[in-house]
Amino acid sequence: MKNELTIAMPKGRIFEEAYKLFVQAGFNLPAEIDDSRKLIVEAPDERIQFILAKPMDVPVYVEHGVADIGIAGKDVLLEQHRDVHELLDLQISNCYIATAGLPNTTMNDIAPRVATKYPRIATNFYKEKGEQVEIIELNGSIELAPMIGLADRIVDIVSTGQTLKENGLVEYEKIVPISSRLIVNPVSYRVKSERINAFIAQLKNELNKR
Amino acid sequence: MSKIQMFEKPLGMRDSFPEVNEQKEYIRLTARDFIRRKGYDFIKTPSVEYFETIGKASAIDESSLFKLVDNQGEMLVLRPDMTTPIARIAASKLLKEKNPLRLAYYADVFRAQQREGGRPAEFEQLGLELIGDFSPYADSEIIYTAIELLKDLGVEGFRITIGHAEILTAFLTNNTNNNEEVELLRQLLVEKNLVGFSQMLESMNLLEEQKDRLSKIIEFTIDSNVFSDFRQFLNDDQQYLIDQVEELQALLEFQLNDFSVVSFDFSLASHMSYYTGMLFEIHAAGSGFSIGNGGRYDELFKQFNEKVGATGFGIRVDRLLEVLPKQLMKEKRTLLLFDKGSFSKANVLAEARRNASEYVTLQYAESVSDIEAFKQIFDEVIIVSEGGSFREE
Repeated sequence: MKNELTIAMPKGRIFEEAYKLFVQAGFNLPAEIDDSRKLIVEAPDERIQFILAKPMDVPVYVEHGVADIGIAGKDVLLEQHRDVHELLDLQISNCYIATAGLPNTTMNDIAPRVATKYPRIATNFYKEKGEQVEIIELNGSIELAPMIGLADRIVDIVSTGQTLKENGLVEYEKIVPISSRLIVNPVSYRVKSERINAFIAQLKNELNKR
Repeated sequence: MSKIQMFEKPLGMRDSFPEVNEQKEYIRLTARDFIRRKGYDFIKTPSVEYFETIGKASAIDESSLFKLVDNQGEMLVLRPDMTTPIARIAASKLLKEKNPLRLAYYADVFRAQQREGGRPAEFEQLGLELIGDFSPYADSEIIYTAIELLKDLGVEGFRITIGHAEILTAFLTNNTNNNEEVELLRQLLVEKNLVGFSQMLESMNLLEEQKDRLSKIIEFTIDSNVFSDFRQFLNDDQQYLIDQVEELQALLEFQLNDFSVVSFDFSLASHMSYYTGMLFEIHAAGSGFSIGNGGRYDELFKQFNEKVGATGFGIRVDRLLEVLPKQLMKEKRTLLLFDKGSFSKANVLAEARRNASEYVTLQYAESVSDIEAFKQIFDEVIIVSEGGSFREE
């Protein structure tokens, strides 16, 4: 138990990509994990335990040390500012955060409104631009906001731009590029240093080949 | 904001219930005895200080300070740390009487939390300060005492990571164009955001060899205790800094039976901006957060117009509780229940048992509404009546 590594993984697409990366890096992991109801998956050969969590929750598990390592999108890290070490760019799930809105529109002068899943990132972006806007926090289907007149702009993740296009929106400004990062709990980083450094070295080795 | 409920306390404030309180007392008493044997004297300072002095000198960020205003309109703060008030006392009075000065504290400090309101905003800190000594002997004394104290308290599986603020500054300054760049890179090292560090290097206007050297520091893994390799990154007039660390290492190796709890990492940077020389962090399995940190902070005394060497450490008692094995020192508790006729008899019995160092509760039976539930709390129950007393299990 003492030498076991606990890794918090986001459910869904990032999980599959990260898992593939681990296998390619030479970790001896169970061939397939497709039971989506399972929350904890063991990889006894490597003494690794995977916790499957909501992407937004991964940094929470790692910050509190119940997971030593986590895979989290840079968007989540920017939004949450958790006290975790960000050690490796896994170069998977590449995308970016951008502002978007209906074509040929400007911000409303009287009450500029921005809808987003990322209130902190959006607030900081407009603050740095020196624009005072009202941030409306939504939990999904952000594209709806400009279409029905809730907001002039949205701040959201863009990977291919397909979703924007389908909903008749255009991108205005790129804010920050996003990819998945390997994060580590500060205590685990020291107390389990040998194990974690070896783990990172093995991943780095694979990433450098790409 | 919703209406405040009767049971609520201000954000981040906690009650210590009897069991936790006893564990804290155990830590306090054990540590106190240990620390005094090392020649340190305990000290208390006011809970409230001036913002103008302690508030500004403290390394704690202003947004974390609890501020209040006194009846003269002066801005006050609840003390956010103990090092700064101790520096104030040492500079203004105690150093004139004893130099070098060894002081210790066990005190509540107050830091408003930015996020997740339940996190403690008031917590006990336990620490030492050795003031008036620039030598590596003082640094090794502080680190050695921290290690021995943790062992004495029964903490297992902890690690001490030692860095050096001045070496890091020298290294960053040698390889960048200005202070602004140094600060940007240092901040990323404080957060240990190595991805950000590499990206920042790319975006800065630096020579390729500078970038190469800078990226070395994050590859210098924490267990390579080879300092001589690091000498190449420092100028001739900076080599003495490595000498200092080598001397510190030699002293610690002499004092410690097991050197494996210590490792060196020159990329270690602290959010406490006043550290000037060696600095260290303490991590232990069982808590997700660092349990303590320390270092040399000669710079702080400049704010009190003194040129003094000072080094010390502080440990958070709440985090210590998380990593300590649960105390098995449960005392046996006895309940003596008496009725109207047996009061004097019960008294005699209670005093006799207390004299034998037992923990005895004396209670008039009629006053207890749920006598069975009350009895359950105790290890032993004795019912005293006029006829005689008998034990109940």
